[in-house]
Amino acid sequence: MTVGSQVKQTLAVLKGAESTLRVYSLQEQDKKVKKVYKEAMDAVDGVTKNLKDRLKYLEYEEPQYKQN
Amino acid sequence: MKIWITILLKSTVLFFVTLFFVTILGKKHPSRITPFNFINYSVIAFLIALTCTNVIYNWVIGILAIAVWMLLPLILEYASMKSKFIYNLLKGKGIVVVKEGKVMEENLSKIGYSGEDLLRELRSKNVFNLADVEFAMMESTGDVNILMKSDKRPLTPNDLQIEVCQEGAPQTVILDGNVINESLSNLGLNQGWLDLQLESKGVSLDNVFIGQVNSKGELYIDLFDDLIQTPQSNVRKILYANLEKAQADLMAFALETQDEKVKDMYTRDSDILKNVLIKLKPYLLK
Repeated sequence: MTVGSQVKQTLAVLKGAESTLRVYSLQEQDKKVKKVYKEAMDAVDGVTKNLKDRLKYLEYEEPQYKQN
Repeated sequence: MKIWITILLKSTVLFFVTLFFVTILGKKHPSRITPFNFINYSVIAFLIALTCTNVIYNWVIGILAIAVWMLLPLILEYASMKSKFIYNLLKGKGIVVVKEGKVMEENLSKIGYSGEDLLRELRSKNVFNLADVEFAMMESTGDVNILMKSDKRPLTPNDLQIEVCQEGAPQTVILDGNVINESLSNLGLNQGWLDLQLESKGVSLDNVFIGQVNSKGELYIDLFDDLIQTPQSNVRKILYANLEKAQADLMAFALETQDEKVKDMYTRDSDILKNVLIKLKPYLLK
């Protein structure tokens, strides 16, 4: 597996985790727990953004790995 | 009037009077009543029995006596709710029998307890060793309640400084194949959500005997057909595992890359995820 596709896979996992966290934060009744989920979601969101940028760079550097 | 008609009438009337009396008396546990209450109730029971079987022949006298024994405790009950003084007078105060690990002998003799009696009460609460007792109190109902020494108390997550998820009471949303809409809306959910959950578990509503939703919003169902295995929801564990995997991936990327700036970014992100994992652990893993 190339670096590009590995990063892509991790990105997909993180995106899935983020959306699950979003569901939990909406579903949760307890305000404190809701906040914990929300903060976790925001932290994961930051990581996802960084990875996305990195992926763009990788695809630019190594166009042969670009997948659709 | 024939005697059997009298008895029939008196019994029926007194039956409903007693029923009414018991309902306004409140939901006190019968074993938690004070000795005086016990005598009170016994007298009422006797009076009713005697009146309706015509042993007390004059029904006016019977009813009068019953009324006094029923109304006085109600009045006193009300008064004791309003005044602390009357409360103490009526129900008595609890008496401390063990304080700071030492038996209070005078207090024991006040309530007519011997050392053996105290030990028996402690044993009935599963305390065999007097040395483990920090504080014990005899309630006015005769119960002995015990506070153990702090090193003999059961371990709690707080002692181990483990953070645990606050779990509220679960709501029963399905009973006998019927949806209970009230508890569903208490959780902020609706029938559509329930249908979706049942569909993902692959069971029909008619087959569900009991369905409960816990405070995390997970549905647990018990089916009429016990041969069908229902999948247990482990989405939370999977989510935790996924985040853990992503964190490990980021660490691997940081090791692989040559670019110092990118290495920094990966390490930072991996640390962020590590913190997230620590925070989420009590809520996702249990």
